Amino acid sequence: MYISKRKSWNLPESAATSESDFINRRRFLKAVGLGSGALLGSSIAHAATSGFPSKVNTDYRPDGLEPTDYDLIKGYNNFYEFSYDKGDVQTLANQGWETEPWEIEIKGHVANPIKIDVNELIKKMGGIEQRVYRFRCVEAWSMVIPWDGFSLSALIDLVQPTEKAKYLKFSTFYDPKSAPEQKGGSIDWPYVEGLTIEEARNELSFLATGIYGKAIPNQNGAPIRLVVPWKYGFKSIKSIVKIEFIGRRPLNTWQALQPREYGFYANVNPEVDHPRWSQASERIIGAGFFSSRKDTLMFNGYGEQVAGLYDGLDLRKNY
Amino acid sequence: MNPIARILRKRWILYLLLCSPVAYVFIPILQNDTEYFADPAKYLLEYVGLASTWLFVVVLSITPLRRLFPKAAIVKSLAYHRRQIGVSVFIYALLHFLIYYVYTGSWAEFVKDWDKLFILSGILGFVLLLALAVTSNNVSVRKIGAKNWKRIHRSAYLIMFLLIYHQAAQEKTGFRETIQVFSPLIILQACRLGLYAKKRYAAQASAVEGDRPSS
Repeated sequence: MYISKRKSWNLPESAATSESDFINRRRFLKAVGLGSGALLGSSIAHAATSGFPSKVNTDYRPDGLEPTDYDLIKGYNNFYEFSYDKGDVQTLANQGWETEPWEIEIKGHVANPIKIDVNELIKKMGGIEQRVYRFRCVEAWSMVIPWDGFSLSALIDLVQPTEKAKYLKFSTFYDPKSAPEQKGGSIDWPYVEGLTIEEARNELSFLATGIYGKAIPNQNGAPIRLVVPWKYGFKSIKSIVKIEFIGRRPLNTWQALQPREYGFYANVNPEVDHPRWSQASERIIGAGFFSSRKDTLMFNGYGEQVAGLYDGLDLRKNY
Repeated sequence: MNPIARILRKRWILYLLLCSPVAYVFIPILQNDTEYFADPAKYLLEYVGLASTWLFVVVLSITPLRRLFPKAAIVKSLAYHRRQIGVSVFIYALLHFLIYYVYTGSWAEFVKDWDKLFILSGILGFVLLLALAVTSNNVSVRKIGAKNWKRIHRSAYLIMFLLIYHQAAQEKTGFRETIQVFSPLIILQACRLGLYAKKRYAAQASAVEGDRPSS
């Protein structure tokens, strides 16, 4: 018998986002002086992974959380390939950067390596579902995002890793012509992230191809990105082109840049401060000038699902 | 005096210039800038901080500019307003400090990060600026005495180092913005030191020359 256990993040349907977002978006487009047709048209033309109806997975709707305004989700982005300025990414990532067609390659210690178009992959995975996750940036701000996509563990089942596979290494695209910041700077492109295979198999690990039921905007990591909600946002690598199953822990980009500040695990942890600021609390995006902070939750509130992954691990040392 | 220097000399023009960053705050609102609406406190915090830093760079550039271009009318006009510009550095720093309080959300959160060098450098810089601002008037100069007053106000150079650190620590990777903001000041100060060294060397050389017994 299957008993549906109501978990801490379970939630009623009412939290679902509806057409009001479409209306907000139109209003925003009008405000910035763009014909809504022009921008909507172009974004649909470039976005892969559109046209997949998303069913809401009611198991993943955290209690009492209001999803962040769509305009802010797609207008406040850390995407250093395009700009260090969060407000500029939206424009720069939509100036000729093609995210369709898009191939993703999965290889390494797997029985069934594949190289496949993202749309074909979604069909292979049997479509997409919507989950509402908290999103906590290492810069001490947070959003709540309704992601559309499929679980990473389903993809792992598809490619069948062998026993040698201990880690997953994710790589993003490298295209300095479209992504101006990839031309130089202090970062060793392309951006790389990693997970242990146990983390990757966790029920929360998700590959997102949409937000709010629409194809994921370029600036949010089109056409496919990782979402690991119990970790700081930088772990959720955008615009993935390659996933490798490997034996040794990969060196993720931020750890390579600043090993004292960013580690491999990067689990959300209110007790371990960033050397330059506290991680005990967070600013809520869209809450306004005088909004008070929210206490940051251990594992971003997903301890029930992931704490077991880190039994016996000193989280102070393994930040 | 050239016309630009003459316009710059006017006090109301100066005040207009010093207040202009405030007007600029409304631009992101009018443009519906998502970065502003995502977290207005953070946006304004960084904005007024940068305004204060730029003005600080201007005020500390005045002395080297005067040494390097002693006859330039624009430099003279700038030097004429030095005290007002200096006080405006403090006013924007005060706004930065107050918005930082709002950004942290409560007193407990506010004081929590003072043990971190990034925050501490800002707090120390602010306290020093406060000391300079309250003594930036003729009464204080008279009371303290010109020599001591000058000595106190040399702490502006200490503030400079604190500010460079504070600005650099704020960047997540690289020092792009820090270099952008501070390189003019560093270059000017280096030229000033170079000029000083040259003069000293020349003075020494002439002194040696003078010591030589005339034949």
